[in-house]
Order: sequence, then structure tokens, then C-alpha cells
Amino acid sequence: MDSVLRAAAMYLALMVLFKIAGRRSLADLTTFDFVLLMIIGEATQQALLGDDFSLTNALMVIVTLIAIDVGLSLLKQRSQWVSRLIDGGPTVIVEDGRILKSRMRLARLVEADIMEAARSSQGIETLEQIKFAIIERNGKISVIAKES
Amino acid sequence: MGNHTEPEDFRSREFPVREDMAYQLKVWRFERVGWYGLVLLVILTLLGLFSRGPLSSRDVQSLDGRLGVKYELFHRNGSNNAMILHLKGQPGAVLEVELGGDWLEGFDVQALQPQPVRSASVGQGMTVWVQADVEGKAILYLSLVSAGLGIYHSRIAMSGSAVSFDQFIFP
Repeated sequence: MDSVLRAAAMYLALMVLFKIAGRRSLADLTTFDFVLLMIIGEATQQALLGDDFSLTNALMVIVTLIAIDVGLSLLKQRSQWVSRLIDGGPTVIVEDGRILKSRMRLARLVEADIMEAARSSQGIETLEQIKFAIIERNGKISVIAKES
Repeated sequence: MGNHTEPEDFRSREFPVREDMAYQLKVWRFERVGWYGLVLLVILTLLGLFSRGPLSSRDVQSLDGRLGVKYELFHRNGSNNAMILHLKGQPGAVLEVELGGDWLEGFDVQALQPQPVRSASVGQGMTVWVQADVEGKAILYLSLVSAGLGIYHSRIAMSGSAVSFDQFIFP
């Protein structure tokens, strides 16, 4: 019984924590983000398995996690509300070469983040060349170039 | 939020993506409030909400001062903590200490040092006999592993002196 409860509690806790961290927290992994991710994994693993290292326990934890994950995706398909709650929505941060400053501040982004995305995805050099920059639901910044 | 908010920035766009800025603002507010929550939790943890710290480490004495217990108010399931009993009696006497209450259901006693002269079970708890030194003092160290969950009550008694306390085990 407790392997299911452990997995469900951990799933919920991690979901809330990563909601607090924001969608950008693990979107573009820097080296340090990668290390952080591994540490979080290590800390989680102990709590998920407890002191029971049996095959059954490990399987039940994995089964529970996948069951919740699939269940949530089914729920997201049916309910717009759940989908928005879990995945959020996209947000425009640059419009016709103009940065929407208030939005960017709240999203904890700086201009360098946008230009980095613009360079790597579109080969754009200046802000004026950007038609739209959008923070997607998964936290990545997608950039649409102005037609020249 | 912030010093200069431009209302135009918070109007929901329909193109290139359909936005809901009212909802997005709530999300950002949640992130901010959540961050305050995390900081608060870190501070509380440093203070010992989850054992070992000023909030958790306790030291109780019986009214006559002959029995003192150092313990942790908060424990985490599976963690290891000490409980120290300070006893005072007649010089060289064997002191009879009753460790009562339901705490043995929540804790595994990993070690009991020094080894008591004798021990027996009484009701839900146990009684141990400890040899006092020439000044009549004795110390008993218990190493406890938290196995349960929730509140457990302890009552430690020694010939007329008694202390009662509760301990809480987090999951």
C-alpha cells in the first residue's frame, strides 16, 4: 500500500514544486541545471523506495507513477481547465521588435535569454528583426522573424 | 506588482497565440507566493521544524529535578535521534526507571547505553534498572529510530518523579 502512497505523494509534491519553479526552470538545461536535476533525482529516489529494495516495490512505484501520468493526460484531453492548470498557456514577450517589459519581468527573463533563443533558432542578430517571441508551455522561447 | 506596469502589456493577444493574461498573471503570482513559501519552509527547517533545531530539541525536568530528559519533539520517519535521561538518586543505588506511554510503538530502540542492570516489560512500555555512581547520578542514552507516523506519548517515571511529553513523527 505505501509504495502507491509514496509515489502519488511524491508526484504531487514535485508537480507543485515545479509549478512554483516556473516553466522555464528546466527548459534550457545549463550544465548546472543538469547537475541540479540529478541531485533532485537522487533525493527523490530514497523517499520513493524507502528501505524496501524489492523488485515488487520498485515496480509498483513505477506502475503508480506511469498510471498517474497517463491518467492526467487523459484528463487533460477531456477538460480544458485541467489542461490549462497543468500545462499553462503560451505568452508573447516580444511583439514587432518591442519587448513587453512587464511580462518579461514577471516571467523572470532578461533580454539576453530572448536573443539567445533568437540566434540559435533563427539566426537573428537584433531585436528589431523579431516579429514575435513567445514563451511556450514547456518553457522554451520560440522566435518568429520579420519577413524581410 | 512592480513600479511601472503598462496596461497594454497585460492585454490578452489573439495572434499569434491565444493568451489568457488574467490566468497567466495568477500563475506568476502563484510562482512568487510559492517562492516565499519555499523560503519560509527553509527557515523553519533550519529552526528545526523537521527535527534538530531550537524548535525541536527539548529538555524537560521533573518538578523535584531528579529526572531530566533531553529529546527531540519532531522526528522524521526512518531517521535516527538520541534521547538522553539524566537521573539522580541515592549514591551507588540501582535506580528503577519506567519508560511508559505508547512511544515504543513509534520508535525502535536501537541502543540503550549503558547496558541496564536489568530490564522488564511493563504494560506498553518497559522498566530498566540503572546503576547510579557514587554521587547518585546516572545517565541513560537511548538511540531511537522513528518507525511510526504521528503523535506518540511518553511518560518517564522514577520513584515519585515523572515527566510526560509528546513526540511527533513526520512521514
